[in-house]
Amino acid sequence: MPDPQLTVEDLYVRFPTSRGTVEAVNGVNFTLEKGQMLGIVGESGSGKSVTAKTLMNLLPRTAEVDGNIIFEGDDVRAVAKERRKHFWGVKMTMVFQDPMTSLNPVKRCGEQITETLRYHLGDDKATAKKKAIDLLEQVGVPEPSKRVDQYPHELSGGLRQRVVIAMALACEPSLLIADEPTTAVDVTVQKRLLDLLDGLRRDRGMSMILITHDLGVARGRCDDVAVMYGGRLVERAPTETLFADSRHPYTEALLRTIPRIDQPSHTRLEPIAGRPPELIDPAEECAFAPRCRYAQPDCLGTIPPVGGVRGQHEFACFHPANTDRGRQALDANLAAGQTVTGLQIQANAGVN
Amino acid sequence: MARFIARRVVQLILVLLSVTFIAFGALNFLGDPLVNIVGPLAAIDYCDEVEAGLREDSYTSINNSRGDCEIIGEAKADFGLDKPVIQRYFTWLGNIITGDLGTSFQTQLPVSEIIAQKLPKSLMLMVMAQIIALAVAIPIGVYSAYRAGRAVDRATSVASFGLLSIPNFALGVIVLQFFALRNQWLPASFDDTSIGTRIHSLILPATVLGLGIAATYQRLLRTDLLTTLQEDFVHMARAKGMTDRHIMTRHALRPSLFSLITVFGVSTGALIGGSLVIEGIFSIPGIGSEIVTAVVRDDFPVVLGSVVVIATGFVVINFFVDLLYTWLDPRVRAS
Ligand SMILES: Nc1ncnc2c1ncn2[C@@H]1O[C@H](COP(=O)(O)OP(=O)(O)OP(=O)(O)O)[C@@H](O)[C@H]1O
Ligand code: SF4
Ligand SMILES: [Mg+2]
Repeated sequence: MPDPQLTVEDLYVRFPTSRGTVEAVNGVNFTLEKGQMLGIVGESGSGKSVTAKTLMNLLPRTAEVDGNIIFEGDDVRAVAKERRKHFWGVKMTMVFQDPMTSLNPVKRCGEQITETLRYHLGDDKATAKKKAIDLLEQVGVPEPSKRVDQYPHELSGGLRQRVVIAMALACEPSLLIADEPTTAVDVTVQKRLLDLLDGLRRDRGMSMILITHDLGVARGRCDDVAVMYGGRLVERAPTETLFADSRHPYTEALLRTIPRIDQPSHTRLEPIAGRPPELIDPAEECAFAPRCRYAQPDCLGTIPPVGGVRGQHEFACFHPANTDRGRQALDANLAAGQTVTGLQIQANAGVN
Repeated sequence: MARFIARRVVQLILVLLSVTFIAFGALNFLGDPLVNIVGPLAAIDYCDEVEAGLREDSYTSINNSRGDCEIIGEAKADFGLDKPVIQRYFTWLGNIITGDLGTSFQTQLPVSEIIAQKLPKSLMLMVMAQIIALAVAIPIGVYSAYRAGRAVDRATSVASFGLLSIPNFALGVIVLQFFALRNQWLPASFDDTSIGTRIHSLILPATVLGLGIAATYQRLLRTDLLTTLQEDFVHMARAKGMTDRHIMTRHALRPSLFSLITVFGVSTGALIGGSLVIEGIFSIPGIGSEIVTAVVRDDFPVVLGSVVVIATGFVVINFFVDLLYTWLDPRVRAS
């Protein structure tokens, strides 16, 4: 098997702050094959954007990074130090999915597309403009030759998103990272954008990392899904496996937060009880333990290592859901009415 | 656009009416031009008493064939000072509309001539000061925002606050001492020989005036830039692989200029105030020193004429500032 297009190994990202060191990413590992789409899912503050920004070299200077990132044979962190030119934006790029804020309000749309062409590919003004018009046409913008001379505020939200995509695709990157804002824009607009992106990336054989807090968004689009919690990858699997046979109790809880086709439409969606974990001086225990229905005494002694089948279905849990060990743990907790951390649980809360 | 200009013209008229009205009133209540024209007797109730027959008229003035009160009375009539203030205000206003700014009580020269002679020098000083301020503040503002929190940024912060806390005249005197008197690097006073000597001799005063506002501009620009740099479109530009330099100058700068531009318009007022002092220190025969002299001597027509010109300039500059907004932000253009 050839090397994956992207390999992230033991990635750590820390932010020294006045309140202490924020351990935002703690030993993340994943790979991405060429042409594939990986979803990174997790609640707010789980380290999704920080991971993406590390790949894109967009972290503030104060960030302390450790680990290896290999992209198409290049050591990304070394690239950041040496030849930063013509790497980001050309090989790897990122879109921020809020169309209202991703475009510079005081620059014409066309110029925002052509500036990359001119800088990275050395195109002259006329060539770049022609390409920009072509790109806008490809992403389905009507009257593209008129749009290039317009300012973002003159375009509808939907058109702006398309301009953002055209901008990102201009230099034909081989990896695109799409970071969905948690404060979601209009859901239907968002869905249209993702569908458009998905179509375009398939046509071009481009790989993609889709960052979202909504597992439902990843379904049907991503080949693999990685679930992040407290700066760690707690589960990673092919999308269908993850939906059908999840292992990590956090993934299971996330799945219950999305509407399912096989349940009556009025089924109540359960938010996950409890607060996200502390990232400053975290305890040496499973970060999910205070919210976990499966938690046992051993969860509080050590951080669960990543296990499962490497490269297939990986998860970091001592009592995985949908396994005998997990069922025993859950049954014991249900019988006691609470877990080892004192979380009150009830039987009717829907066991898979 | 026509609407925009019409609104501005109305604004200009209102500003001029109120400014001149206040200036006119203040001058009349606080000073008495007759004192300067005919001497201190004019200031007291002496003539009223003579008129009321309480005392005899004296013959202290040069032409002692006529009584002092007689002379004061003539002067009053000559300069229209025997009319009530309001009436005089409207007479003056009527003359202004016909383009007549009056004549100086002191020199008997037409005010328009005095202004035409003095204003260009002050204008040149202020334009040079603004150019220096922008030329210093914009690059430093951009660089200090780019390197926020680092050594250069901290050093410029200290320098800015230092400049902001030194009064203009103090800086002026120090600069004059060091650069013009102790080391004759630059001229100490205005040299009207040619355009070249004019610019050359205005470098020091313009720098003194400019540095004060440069500090304000730099602080504002830095703050606005730091806000802009948090915007998604800046991250997007970085994700597109654009260089830091390109991002700072081509993406972040323009949307960060609003506060600076606003203060640019307003600072014209402060600049005029500052130039009153600086013109004195560097012996520049500009409108600033002219106003100071005119105020001391209660030379109403000169003071009022200058006020009209300055207020007009102020409104006009702020009109261009508004035009600049529309250039800076296409969204303003639309609304
Ligand atoms: N520059 C920074 N300095 C300090 N802490 C930071 C910095 N950037 C991110 N963090 C912290 O790192 C953690 C992870 O943030 P991140 O933005 O990756 O979350 P996320 O998973 O993208 O969440 P969301 O879904 O809300 O976007 C958060 O606790 C955040 O406060
Ligand atoms: S069972 Fe234990 S290890 Fe697994 S998620 Fe729950 S607390 Fe963590
Ligand atoms: Mg995020």
